[in-house]
Amino acid sequence: MGRTLVTATQIILDEQREFGDFYRALRRADQQAFEELFSHARKHTAPISMASHALPFEAVLLAMLLEECKKSNQLSQQLDELGKVVDKLHQLVDEFTSSA
Amino acid sequence: MNVEYTGWLLDVYTDRKEGGIVLWFLGDQGERLFLRQPFPVVMYAAGDFSRLRALWHYLEKQPMQVSLERTERRSLFDPDMLTVMKIQVKKAFEQPRLFARIKQYFPELDYYDADIPIFPRFSAKYNVFPLTRCRVVTGTNGWIQEITPLGSRWDLDSEPPPLRILTIEPDIDPSHAQPAKLEIRYGRYHCRWEMKPEKPLLLCLESILRRYDPDLILTNWGDTWLISRLLEYSRQLNIPLSLNRDPDCEVIYKAQRSYYTYGTVVHRGQQIHLIGRWHIDALNAMMFGDYGLEGVFELARVSALPVQVAARNSPGSGITAMQNITALRKEILVPYHKQQTERYKTAFDLIGIDKGGLVYQPLIGLFPDVAEIDFISMYPSIMRRHNISPETVGNQHLNAQFVRDLGLFVNQDQPGLVPETLAPLLDKRITLKQRLLELHPWDCRYKPYKAQSAALKWLLVVCFGYTGYKNAKFGKIEAHEAITAYAREVLLRAKEAAEVLGFTVLHMYVDGLWIQKPGACNVADFQPVLDEILERTGLPIALDGIYKWVAFLPSRQDNRVPVANRYFGVFQNGEIKIRGIEARREDTPQFIVQTQMEILKLLSKAPTADSLPSLLPDITQLLRRRLDEIQKGSLNIEQFLVRQKLSQALNEYRVPSPAARAAKQLEAEGKLIHIGQHVRLLYVRGEQRVIAWDLSLPPDPATLDVIRYKRDLLRAASTLLGPLGVNEDTLRNWLFSNASYAAPPGILPKTNPNCRYFDVSSG
Repeated sequence: MGRTLVTATQIILDEQREFGDFYRALRRADQQAFEELFSHARKHTAPISMASHALPFEAVLLAMLLEECKKSNQLSQQLDELGKVVDKLHQLVDEFTSSA
Repeated sequence: MNVEYTGWLLDVYTDRKEGGIVLWFLGDQGERLFLRQPFPVVMYAAGDFSRLRALWHYLEKQPMQVSLERTERRSLFDPDMLTVMKIQVKKAFEQPRLFARIKQYFPELDYYDADIPIFPRFSAKYNVFPLTRCRVVTGTNGWIQEITPLGSRWDLDSEPPPLRILTIEPDIDPSHAQPAKLEIRYGRYHCRWEMKPEKPLLLCLESILRRYDPDLILTNWGDTWLISRLLEYSRQLNIPLSLNRDPDCEVIYKAQRSYYTYGTVVHRGQQIHLIGRWHIDALNAMMFGDYGLEGVFELARVSALPVQVAARNSPGSGITAMQNITALRKEILVPYHKQQTERYKTAFDLIGIDKGGLVYQPLIGLFPDVAEIDFISMYPSIMRRHNISPETVGNQHLNAQFVRDLGLFVNQDQPGLVPETLAPLLDKRITLKQRLLELHPWDCRYKPYKAQSAALKWLLVVCFGYTGYKNAKFGKIEAHEAITAYAREVLLRAKEAAEVLGFTVLHMYVDGLWIQKPGACNVADFQPVLDEILERTGLPIALDGIYKWVAFLPSRQDNRVPVANRYFGVFQNGEIKIRGIEARREDTPQFIVQTQMEILKLLSKAPTADSLPSLLPDITQLLRRRLDEIQKGSLNIEQFLVRQKLSQALNEYRVPSPAARAAKQLEAEGKLIHIGQHVRLLYVRGEQRVIAWDLSLPPDPATLDVIRYKRDLLRAASTLLGPLGVNEDTLRNWLFSNASYAAPPGILPKTNPNCRYFDVSSG
């Protein structure tokens, strides 16, 4: 029905295929990370489509970065919480040793 | 002396005997009237003056009665009047043949109003539509003197005509085996009649046709097998069979065909139309399962297509007929060929505008207390609100709206032809939907309202789709692009409105949103979002329902990747909604569909999402029972049938699909399968791998590929249990290794506090 452009999902798959040689040359563990990056991009097909970017891979990269940024934020948050727990534990140990 | 009747108009067609038109009319006293009326048909030609003069001379020499006139008419896309030649053909049935000839001799001319069927022409002139009430006055010769409408096609509670319906159903699918009996029902009678010997069968049918005189013959496989078989018997035995009410006409055959639409190939079987009464083959009618007879009648009523055509044609022909009526009534020329071409666009333009609807990928997982909110008929509402029509898009006027994405203007001075056509349709559907919300499902009006609403829905859907259809007379791709541009903007505004009020948008799909906020679980909690969205978009949006829980599923290939429109959930009222899972697919065997639905029913009993894992023992028990039934062969073999479509010609397959392999087996027996047709098959062991169901020899149940069916069953079960943290391997362990539930579902830490469980494999 009049559609002339490939879908965002197709753009991502095409880009992934384009990097076939790059992928082959990666170590197995790195290949898994590569696949994960592209699966990150697949979560954002609507924004990639809305961006209407002439170089769609830039939008794909941004989508990958987004997910990585979310993950690192989440990890820092967990670290903060863990840090607080460790501080509390230190405090308890100090209180315990001083009282002993 | 003039006689006056009131009643319902059933059918209109051209009269080959007397030259006018024939009207079938059902009177208030139950009389079926055959009425005639003169009805000259008008078409127009325009173009080079010398060629028009040549056409004039040509037409003057024709034997049929034609009157010619030079006049001016308005074309949709041109503000100035167009000088045209008006060609009035006195005998309506001669017009299509005459037009076919002149367009062959004078192909360089433009033709208007040339290929409009007779019923929409009649309805446009007299405002009388199929199955609506009207009054007719006939003269001494029985010809109609006057016809006036007594009801409108937009009435909601118009009195339905008391139709007489004869139902005939063969006892088995003729493509599978030779039917032995016909099940016949009419009025209060019900009988089964042997197919052989043929003579008593024909005599029985003829006596029913004469005595009961049905208005509608409703069949199964009537188009593709039954009616042609009965007519063949009638010819061979020389026993009359009055299928037509009009004795002057022959039964009309329309050949089978296959065509591509919306990216898929569709096969339409042969059609058999009767004259003077209707024949509908429930299995060859369009979307009969969706809206039934009530829907077909509604489609005919609003579009002015004859009932037999409305039943079989796509809603596209209905919306075309309605646009033609609007144009005829506004005295706007209806072009024979679409005349609008796409404006010049650069690749950059295309990247910006050719995007269609907005589809967000959902967040994967199982979520409690989710509201699904949908825009009410979003695209038609946008078309009406922004006056989007082929003639309004693209021209800069004083009073024009600018569409940012397109860099185009939409003229707001005059109501566009398309919005004008769809406005009453949209109003009727919205009113029907409102009434449905207020009515109890047991109310006698509920079912007909629902069918009518479903039929109108399809007209509205194609009303948008046809703006982008290359052959639509009133289509223009820029109008299509403008609608989708507005729709994307509307959905983004809706997302922003929901997020401003603290909701998380889990999924968005073209015109619907799934939203969630901790603590929000009642209708009142979601009302502020609806109000805010209405405020920001100007379009009505409704709460479709609140899910107790809903699970958005990942892709089968990569469970880290979400898939749009693949989910299942249970509303607070216990209703189950599924999309994209096995039970919705047409190629899933019945026992898998049933098992999936049974599992969902079990899950729907959980009061909250948190209590879902407590149902796992019941589900594994059910699956064990099912696996046992497959192994023992205690299920009916038809439960294993797979229905697949043949998507291309047999010789075009590089690796034949199961459907192609089964079709090849049928072809060897002389049963041809056409592209777009469905093939029923069973998976079997051995080299063949599949066996067609409709072969002459019945399949041996012992050859069934039990391992494959078991695997498919477990896969379907794990689709539902995945969001609870039970993947296919875990399920296998539980079922085949008798492993206990040592690894409880949901063992992974929750990364989203509002999401309950994650697929164990997604880590």
